[in-house]
Amino acid sequence: MNSETIEKDSKKKLLAAGQAAEAAREAGHDEDSEESHESSAEPMTSASHGEKAILHRPSSASMVWTLAQREIQANLNSAITYIVIAASLVVVGLYFFFYKGGFWQVDRASMARMFDSIPFALCFLTVPLFTMRSLADEKRVGTIELLITMPVKDSEVILGKFIGSLAMVALQIALLAAYPIVMFSRAPFWHLGELDWSPFWVGMLGLLLLSMAGTAIGVMWSSFTESQILSYFATMLTLVALYAIGSVSIVEFLQGWPGDAISFVSLQSRFEPFARGLIDSRAVIYFLSLTTLGLVVAFRSLESRKWS
Amino acid sequence: MSTDVMIYANGLSKRYGSFRALDDVSFEVRRGEVVGFLGPNGAGKSTTMRILTCFIAPTSGTAKVRGQDVFDDTLAVRSSLGYLPQRAPLYLEMTVYEYLRFAAKVRNIDDSLFKQRARNVVEVCGLAQSLSKEIRQLSHGYRQRVGLAQALIHDPPILILDEPTSDLDPNEKAEFLNYLKQIGKDRTVLLSTHNLKEVESACARAIIVSRGRVVADGALDEIRAKSGRVRYIVSVQESIGASAYRGTGAPPKQSDVERALSGLKGVKKVAELPTDDRAHQYAIDGDDGDDIRADIFRMVSDKGWVLLELHRDTQTLEDVFRQLTIGDERRNRQLGPVAETSNASDEDDSDDEDEDDDSDDEETAPIESKRGKR
Ligand SMILES: Nc1ncnc2c1ncn2[C@@H]1O[C@H](COP(=O)(O)OP(=O)(O)OP(=O)(O)O)[C@@H](O)[C@H]1O
Ligand SMILES: [Mg+2]
Repeated sequence: MNSETIEKDSKKKLLAAGQAAEAAREAGHDEDSEESHESSAEPMTSASHGEKAILHRPSSASMVWTLAQREIQANLNSAITYIVIAASLVVVGLYFFFYKGGFWQVDRASMARMFDSIPFALCFLTVPLFTMRSLADEKRVGTIELLITMPVKDSEVILGKFIGSLAMVALQIALLAAYPIVMFSRAPFWHLGELDWSPFWVGMLGLLLLSMAGTAIGVMWSSFTESQILSYFATMLTLVALYAIGSVSIVEFLQGWPGDAISFVSLQSRFEPFARGLIDSRAVIYFLSLTTLGLVVAFRSLESRKWS
Repeated sequence: MSTDVMIYANGLSKRYGSFRALDDVSFEVRRGEVVGFLGPNGAGKSTTMRILTCFIAPTSGTAKVRGQDVFDDTLAVRSSLGYLPQRAPLYLEMTVYEYLRFAAKVRNIDDSLFKQRARNVVEVCGLAQSLSKEIRQLSHGYRQRVGLAQALIHDPPILILDEPTSDLDPNEKAEFLNYLKQIGKDRTVLLSTHNLKEVESACARAIIVSRGRVVADGALDEIRAKSGRVRYIVSVQESIGASAYRGTGAPPKQSDVERALSGLKGVKKVAELPTDDRAHQYAIDGDDGDDIRADIFRMVSDKGWVLLELHRDTQTLEDVFRQLTIGDERRNRQLGPVAETSNASDEDDSDDEDEDDDSDDEETAPIESKRGKR
């Protein structure tokens, strides 16, 4: 599936960026010498003392997966998850079918409407709600202390949180996508035309990229605070601002290069080609960079506990 | 550095803003030692442990665990540690079993080994009935047991436990301390606690910190002797009372006995203890060095008096603890600048302090054993 390769890409990018950042600002020994270990051989040994110590820890990938799994389980155990999912389904469903005449007005069998509404729902509700707990709650309850004193790298903690939250967002997207899938699988019954599936999958890819960027930003905010509420609002405002800033009126109002610049950073304008079934490579890079940025900042912020 | 040194801290300092939580803390713990880490509230025990477990970095100083620097080889350090933070912060939404499984996975313990370790740990921590309960449903004591189980699941060579027994019931406490003693033979355990009885039963050695400094470090006997004082309790028969007076001559007067005792070599201070009128009882402060019980007996018998009681009181750990950390204590009970003259609100020790202690050095302020007042 597409999403997997993309996740891997983003991980590589994250690590690359992390190392670049290190190389740039490394002075004296910094805790993240562990980062550079990461690129070297997997059965890690501490070379510095000449004596070999076998590390009782799994490979990075399975560590990240263990942490992500825990995160997903915690989410599935929480009532909030189901409330969020149900609420999003209802809101998007209503919008999809009824708002401004709804789905039925559009003559062609098209999912464009769906890609109209879901991104905003993601920015406003889903992503902030699924990321707010991730680090903030661990810090508030103090579980972070037990987690971090296990042989886990800070980067693995961040990636685990990221993937865990992203999985929840992806679950939500999948459930939302169930509307059209169910409808079109019974196309004759609903008197709908045949749907062109490839733009649909491109749109889904776009949603996933958007969610990755959003989730990274959410994890980042969550790493700054101990309060879930604060984390929610900070993430929500950031994402909604990044989204709404690209609305046509603002871009037109500014015109010229400011308008271009704004539409460049706007989630909405970056997502727009995907909604039309086009894979815009610049947008892919943009979303991935945003993801990387968010995760690197979160990593730094998690590390900073040491010096406080 | 010998390979036997499992925990090595050298000159650890930690500042929070301008506040010095730790100030030049140095100590070593060897393989096979179970060390009690003591100190009043806020002394810096948890801070030290957090540095040793790589959770926070020291402002200055170095620490090594099993020869690995906590700073440069944090993964190696953490993988050889079992750590229980204070108040056992666990994921409340997981069941006990899930939690242990999670801890095991992070430590790369495979299924069959996990089953075996889990059985052992469940037995030690008494968790058999709670395995399938969510941690949020557990009482505090049980949460602490889960925290312990989590620290033991990978059978680590080094255990760092921050107040591991604070919430346990006496049965579990005994069970756990027993287990510690048993595994402590070839492992290294550093445990902080406020319960000095526990230290006396489980540890051969203690480190006492106060206001971010190590104020005592050594075998318990050494620490007990650290006060540099030994107390003798002497009772001499005074009057005939019900039983006949068996001494030669008349029963001694109080002042006679006191003078005679004060005259003995090695006696620093003689204080009369309240008794009934059949005996004179005295508490004698002596030097740590030599035992003067023999001299006391000789003197009393030479005078023809009757010795009813003579024993040597070594200081309890608690006495020494109080003496070493009294500065902290006093600071906490006074508002405003610490003044020596004030009539402290400290109910326990204030009267003794006021007469004894007129130096500025609070850490070495002598204290009276509580026994003295009875
Ligand atoms: N995050 C922090 N920020 C500021 N000060 C802190 C922080 N953590 C600890 N301190 C201070 O450092 C000092 C030592 O704290 P620490 O938790 O190590 O004490 P402790 O010996 O474990 O005490 P207790 O017996 O109460 O657990 C305390 O005065 C505390 O107020
Ligand atoms: Mg503490």
